[in-house]
Amino acid sequence: MASVKLTDVKKIYDNKVTAVHDFNLEIKDKEFVVFVGPSGCGKSTTLRMIAGLEDISGGTLEIDGEVVNDLQPKDRDIAMVFQNYALYPHMTVYDNIAFSLRLKKVPEDEVYERVTNAAQILGITEYLTRKPRALSGGQRQRVAIGRAMVRNAKVFLMDEPLSNLDAKLRNQMRAEIILLRQKLDTTFIYVTHDQTEAMTLGDRIVIMKDGFIEQVGTPQEVFDTPVNLFVAGFIGSPQMNFLKAKLVQEGSGYTVEILGARIPLNEDQNAVLAKKKVKSMEIILGVRPEHTTVLFDKTENAIECAIDVNEMMGSELHLHLSSANDDKIIVRLPTVDLTKEQRNSLAYGGKMYITFPAKVMHLFDPETERSLIDG
Amino acid sequence: MSEATAKRHMGLKASRAVTNTAIHILLIVISIIWLIPFVCIVLQSFRVENSGQVGYVLPKVWGTDNYSNLFQTDFPRWYTNTFVAALITAVLQTVIVLCMSYTLSRFRFKMRQPLMRFMLILGMFPGMLTMIILYRVLKDLGMTQANATPGLILVYIASSGMGYYVSKGFFDTIPTSLDEAARIDGATRAQILYKIILPLSKPIVIYTILTAFMGPWGDYVFARYIAFGASAGKNVAVGLYDWLSKDQISNNYTMFCAGGVLVALPVTVLFMFLQKYYVEGVTGGAVKG
Amino acid sequence: MAQLSDLEYLKLSKGKKFGYRLGHFFTGIPKGIGRFFLKIWEGLKKCGAAVGREAADIVNTFVHGDWKTKLSYLVMGFGCLARGQILRGILFLLFEVVFIGYMILSGGYWLSMLPSLGKTGPSKEYNELLDVYVTKYNDNSFQILLYGVLTIFFIIAFIYTWRLNIRQNKIAEKILASGKKLKSGKEDLRSIVDDQFHKTLLALPMTGIIVFTLLPILFMVLVAFTNYDGTHNGYTNSLFTWVGLDNFNTMLSWSGGAGGTQSYAATFGEVLLWTLIWAFFATFTNYFLGMFVAMAINKKGIRFKKGWRTILVLTIAIPQFISLLYVSKMFAKNGIINGFLMDMGWITQAIDFFGDASRPWLARITVIVINIWIGIPYLMLITTGILMNIPADLYESAKIDGASGWKQYTKITLPYMLFVTGPYLLTSFTGNMNNFNVIYLLTGGAPTNAAASSASGSVGYTDLLITWLFKITTGAESQYYMASVIGILVFVVVALVSLIVYNVMPSTRNEEDFR
Repeated sequence: MASVKLTDVKKIYDNKVTAVHDFNLEIKDKEFVVFVGPSGCGKSTTLRMIAGLEDISGGTLEIDGEVVNDLQPKDRDIAMVFQNYALYPHMTVYDNIAFSLRLKKVPEDEVYERVTNAAQILGITEYLTRKPRALSGGQRQRVAIGRAMVRNAKVFLMDEPLSNLDAKLRNQMRAEIILLRQKLDTTFIYVTHDQTEAMTLGDRIVIMKDGFIEQVGTPQEVFDTPVNLFVAGFIGSPQMNFLKAKLVQEGSGYTVEILGARIPLNEDQNAVLAKKKVKSMEIILGVRPEHTTVLFDKTENAIECAIDVNEMMGSELHLHLSSANDDKIIVRLPTVDLTKEQRNSLAYGGKMYITFPAKVMHLFDPETERSLIDG
Repeated sequence: MSEATAKRHMGLKASRAVTNTAIHILLIVISIIWLIPFVCIVLQSFRVENSGQVGYVLPKVWGTDNYSNLFQTDFPRWYTNTFVAALITAVLQTVIVLCMSYTLSRFRFKMRQPLMRFMLILGMFPGMLTMIILYRVLKDLGMTQANATPGLILVYIASSGMGYYVSKGFFDTIPTSLDEAARIDGATRAQILYKIILPLSKPIVIYTILTAFMGPWGDYVFARYIAFGASAGKNVAVGLYDWLSKDQISNNYTMFCAGGVLVALPVTVLFMFLQKYYVEGVTGGAVKG
Repeated sequence: MAQLSDLEYLKLSKGKKFGYRLGHFFTGIPKGIGRFFLKIWEGLKKCGAAVGREAADIVNTFVHGDWKTKLSYLVMGFGCLARGQILRGILFLLFEVVFIGYMILSGGYWLSMLPSLGKTGPSKEYNELLDVYVTKYNDNSFQILLYGVLTIFFIIAFIYTWRLNIRQNKIAEKILASGKKLKSGKEDLRSIVDDQFHKTLLALPMTGIIVFTLLPILFMVLVAFTNYDGTHNGYTNSLFTWVGLDNFNTMLSWSGGAGGTQSYAATFGEVLLWTLIWAFFATFTNYFLGMFVAMAINKKGIRFKKGWRTILVLTIAIPQFISLLYVSKMFAKNGIINGFLMDMGWITQAIDFFGDASRPWLARITVIVINIWIGIPYLMLITTGILMNIPADLYESAKIDGASGWKQYTKITLPYMLFVTGPYLLTSFTGNMNNFNVIYLLTGGAPTNAAASSASGSVGYTDLLITWLFKITTGAESQYYMASVIGILVFVVVALVSLIVYNVMPSTRNEEDFR
């Protein structure tokens, strides 16, 4: 139950490698923030600096307004769940959860109360006398969460807690973490490399790459208005399509030209571009698979594509296409309305036409890789 | 199945049976070779008719005279010396080795690498060299000859910190996230050591105790230097070695065998019980260098 | 030699590949040596730079420090005391007082005597009361050398502590300037079981190592430059003194000894060569035979696996001095082996395995064979564990690819084993070079080498450098200085072997990989 504030926090290792560059972020009380990014992006290092497991090379870290840079982990009043659970193998589940309370010399009857209470919430009461190795992955994860829960810490840190679980269990535990969060009502910082987890769990998402923050925002914001190519490609599944295109200024308006198709931008987009005084230029056009309209017949402003692969997902098809520019495109096509002939035509070697409205288009500068409109 | 294929299939089975039989025979031969000296030493320790060395194995007259004669000599004194030295060394050396290896495995401090390199280089000098000076210093302190045991213990444990490799290798395999979890749970470094790491390190603790005990139990060189010349300060190795010297062997050879049996018996029993841990330690040590 | 790209190398035939690698190994040696010295040079440069930085920092701290800091340059711990860190201050001050006291009372004397190692030896003096000559003992070279070295240690420790004291002041000033509080004595005490816990843990082991290993070794290295021996023990008979490089000259001189014996250098060369041959065979015979036995026991379809292992392990449990001494007597002229061979009528005259100076190789080979008996159980244990770690699917896919049992061994088992046990082989090799027990307890170095240099004590054909060293120090003459020289040379050889092997080894694995 505390705010966390990072100001210009840096991590430089002994070998002069900088793992985290000036990290600035203010996490509000009771907020659920997710750090997401590919491996090696510095998200775990940042979390470990907050936990006190790594020294902070520069900048300040405040928890509840107090600078805690030089405090030992145990004096920071934080709880943490590790990727590999880090349960003490020689202790029973009960002792594992009680360990921190006993170190704090909490009376044994209160320890009992808090441990059984946490066990009840997590549904592991019947395993309390077992050793960790007798538990399944999901149960171990629950014990790890229980161990963090009983401490009533100000901040709850989770370092890829679900990545050692199989896909089905992961979905289930994800839902449980959401429930847990509602019960605990405390500040959460959650690290993951999985964008789905980030989108479903976070109040706000911090997307990182190579030690830099790329974008901070709510799941909706980072999905709708990615500020650069990296964020656009990282968030969303299947990944956003990127196409070579041309932005043409015509009078007061702008038009995107791609393979003969000409799509005029809408008013809002025109206004932003005009304000930034953008000239005609080569651009990278980003369109999400779910925003692409698939046509079986050629119409005006439609792009002809060849079908490479047809993936059947049940309720929808994922079509892998390539355009005349040799851009690779993935589109999603619901199967409900397709006729039998249409389905048969969607095989390797077939032809398709795609188009999209102006409002779903993301325009990126190929040089800076930044969005021309958002951010 | 044609006849030819049937033959081929039979061939596989048959050739496997032949090799396995051959290996079994080989293993029996090996076992005999390995056991012969021990069988012989036990047999000769019961030989009464001749106390010197003879060219046959089976005693002509059986008896326990050699064992009872041992108690007329300084042997009980040597045995006590060795036992005391081995016991105290086992305890103290284990403590020192565990301190050293835990530190080098878990702490990342500035002097860590230089320290390890320093010990590596120091270890390349023959340790025996130090005995020349240590003998003289210990002599000044009155811890040699008849009083050799305390001096010996000091020599055994003093540099035991350099034998940290095996247990450090073991500690390295315990995930550091356990330490981190414990630190977040509020444990100090000292608490992490005795509440988390040590309970998880039972095999290596037992291995360390076992080797620390067996070192002094069979040590010849250091005891020879420190007990120099004084019978009361000898340990079993030095004492029994001297029984085989040219002028004593004709009288004491069978007594050497009896003494050897008495020395070997306790460690062998101990070893057989703790074999599992020893194997674990030795294997781990070799893999992690 | 031309450098080939990876793909060009792959095109070579098997023989050419081997030649290419061999060529590169040898052409790489000078480069490696060059790199080694370059590293030393760089290390020295770094050291120099560090000393410069330290000096600059000391001056800077003085110039910019407040009066408390300035006074601390003279009175150690004053700054700590004045700023309320009583515990630290008292410790610093105490150390300074003890140091100055020691230097005045005795340290100064030892240092002043160090260059000469004593001026007046023991003398006979006439005692009128008793009417006898009594020996009066004067300077003690041994103590002078020992305490001289100790005093130098103490001075270094003092300089380090003094520097620490100054740094403490600088840090304290900085902390106070930023408005924070200094650590109290109580916090200092708490930190010795927490963030400074490593220092607490290391204190005892490191003290032991420094006092009982480092100091003695430094002392013995210095002894190599003196004439310290049984007749110059520095106190009761005659002082010893510095002789420069004389001992090394003796050791490496090629002029023959008295009575038509070899030169010292020839004897040394012979012992060194045998030491290397012994270490090589002792290591590799054990390694391959041990692995073979382990594989035989591990093989599918072999019964009583645990039983075979236990029988072999028995040899490890029984102290070596018993088993080796007993085995050595079994091989004696009137021992069981000869008795058995004669009973069977295979020989008519007892074979003198260890005593026949005309057949030195008989003793040497016997020693190596007996060592196999000692070594196989260890190697069997070690390799069993590793063999079981080799993924079974490697063998399965090799079988499907059509590899025979031998091919599977050379292409899968052996490379894996060598990779994993590389460091072990190195330590095992150097360990065997110094394998005192096996040689001394089995043969005591026999058969005696009559041709060996007369000054070298009685060297035998199976003597290793280490047993020779032992003999020299325990023999009648106790040539401690020669023992030191041999010890130093053993160090040089071991270091060289380690350096070469370490550089050739396929991968020097990163210890962090295991974490």
